[in-house]
Amino acid sequence: MSTRTEDKGPLADYRETFGSLLSETWLGYAMILPAALLIGVIILYPTFRGIQLAFFEASLLNPEAKVFVGFENFATMLEDATFRESLWHTVLLTGIAVSLQYMLGLGLALALKEKVPGAGVFRSLSMITWVLPVIVMVIIFRFMTQSGFGPVNILLAKLGMETASWFGRPGVAFPLVVIMHVWRNVPFYAIALLASMKSIPDTQYEAARLDGAGPLQRFRYVTLPQISYVSMIMIVLHVIFTFNNFDIVYLSTGGGPLGNTEVMATYVYKQAFQQYALGYAASMAVVMLVIMMTFTVVYVKLEARD
Amino acid sequence: MSTDTAQQTTPDRSFVERIDAWLDEDMSIRRALGVYAVLGMYMAFLLLPVAYMVMATFTSPDFLYSTRLIPSLGDLTIDNYVTTLSRGQFQQYFINSMIIATATTALTLAVGTLAAYSLSRFDYPGKNVFLMTFLGTRMLPLVLILIPFYLLMFTLNLIDSYIGIIIAHSVGGIPLGTWLLKGYFDDIPESLDEAAKMDGCSQLDILVRIIIPMSLPGIAVAGFYTFILSWNDFLLVSILSQTASTRTLPFGLQLFQSQNSVAWELLLTAATVTMAPVVLLFALIQRWIVEGLASGGMKGN
Repeated sequence: MSTRTEDKGPLADYRETFGSLLSETWLGYAMILPAALLIGVIILYPTFRGIQLAFFEASLLNPEAKVFVGFENFATMLEDATFRESLWHTVLLTGIAVSLQYMLGLGLALALKEKVPGAGVFRSLSMITWVLPVIVMVIIFRFMTQSGFGPVNILLAKLGMETASWFGRPGVAFPLVVIMHVWRNVPFYAIALLASMKSIPDTQYEAARLDGAGPLQRFRYVTLPQISYVSMIMIVLHVIFTFNNFDIVYLSTGGGPLGNTEVMATYVYKQAFQQYALGYAASMAVVMLVIMMTFTVVYVKLEARD
Repeated sequence: MSTDTAQQTTPDRSFVERIDAWLDEDMSIRRALGVYAVLGMYMAFLLLPVAYMVMATFTSPDFLYSTRLIPSLGDLTIDNYVTTLSRGQFQQYFINSMIIATATTALTLAVGTLAAYSLSRFDYPGKNVFLMTFLGTRMLPLVLILIPFYLLMFTLNLIDSYIGIIIAHSVGGIPLGTWLLKGYFDDIPESLDEAAKMDGCSQLDILVRIIIPMSLPGIAVAGFYTFILSWNDFLLVSILSQTASTRTLPFGLQLFQSQNSVAWELLLTAATVTMAPVVLLFALIQRWIVEGLASGGMKGN
């Protein structure tokens, strides 16, 4: 970056380059130091301790008195029906929510791409769900589905259909959690995909049109390949986000009713802070981390091969 | 795509032709109506719940607890706001949220700008390790680090203090903030740096006089992202805050909503006030965010 090409004789040139490289290197390190230090101390160190904790039995009441148990925590998981269920819920939630988000986000991006008057207003307004605090979203959804006076139930009653406090209803709570994930993130997909679509040069569409490609073919052969990189980023980001997400489930259903919406993050939280089983909680969190790392590596490799 | 291609040749533009100019060459009125119908459905799904909540906060409990969907004029009132805003605890939470989110944004931007400048303009061994580590932290399940994190903060005596929460939130914001800023810094041609260097500017001068002024939109986006991250956070505050003196709005709302008998009119009002600052902030800089989220960080290499 700082290699200058001035002709001052090889030695002087070398000395200057080396000198400036050295001082630049130190300055580079110095500038990244605060960020690296904060991340190292506040994130990496606890991560290391968390992974370590997975091989111990420890209680929140006295975390210093821990006993090394090897892989026992991981063996316990295999026997734990709630663990299996919450893992399944997490995978199901992530799969369904991210698929729906992507499809609906793509649809919204395509609609916003049309040059109709006011498209910009729609574009900005749609982002509101994404900036709302999760707790506010949860309050909105819980209010809408309250029994008696919740607007959804008022509508259902008017249509002569069954009403209920829907978050407390097994079989409905889980779809509601999916809907909240979708509701929150669709606009973000739409904006990112829209921007990536807008960077496709018009000439490519013209060329496809001249080759006799219809709208669907143009979408398939011009649009889709060009948005594949942004699509990959969005999908990887949101798979990680959804898989690890804690607050949407915890604040809306708390994992209930009857464990119907229990996901890994809430189960780990409960094991740690309600059962005080620190080691067991940490070992499950390590499983989450391994699953996410595997997913990311495999997905990015697959994407890169295409 | 459609049959009629609007070709404008007449110099005097009627209203219809002005509308046509808005539309693409292959955009017919029918197609536009179709687009509006699709956008309308999306907006109904995304915005109606929010709009309905805001409307409900301006009505009396008589309406709220009734089975009517649309209030009459007589139902309208601002009593809910008077009651909510005059509550001491709510004011305290609001102030806490403001202090914490503002300080988090400042700290993250300061640290993130330096780190992003370093990653964008310097070459040194281990640079990619830093970048990968920063991005890799996004993958960590927060619940994995929660316990050791709590113990660490306890050791550092940072429990139930503004500083502890601000540091925790900043560390959450630094990786993505740095990444976003690096994207913007990379877009500024290095020839500008070289020219400034010729004029005798130091690296810090270049950062302060060239890089920062030229990437203000990026800084706004990174700052906004950090602000909402801090403003919206529930989990970290629920761990670190032990008394009302450090409690933020999301945590306060959670306590409020988990009470046995929820006063919905006040809860909805408190929720509306909680979302107001981030929505306002978003409205102020939405153009940069909408463009920046995509162009700054999402670029294909």
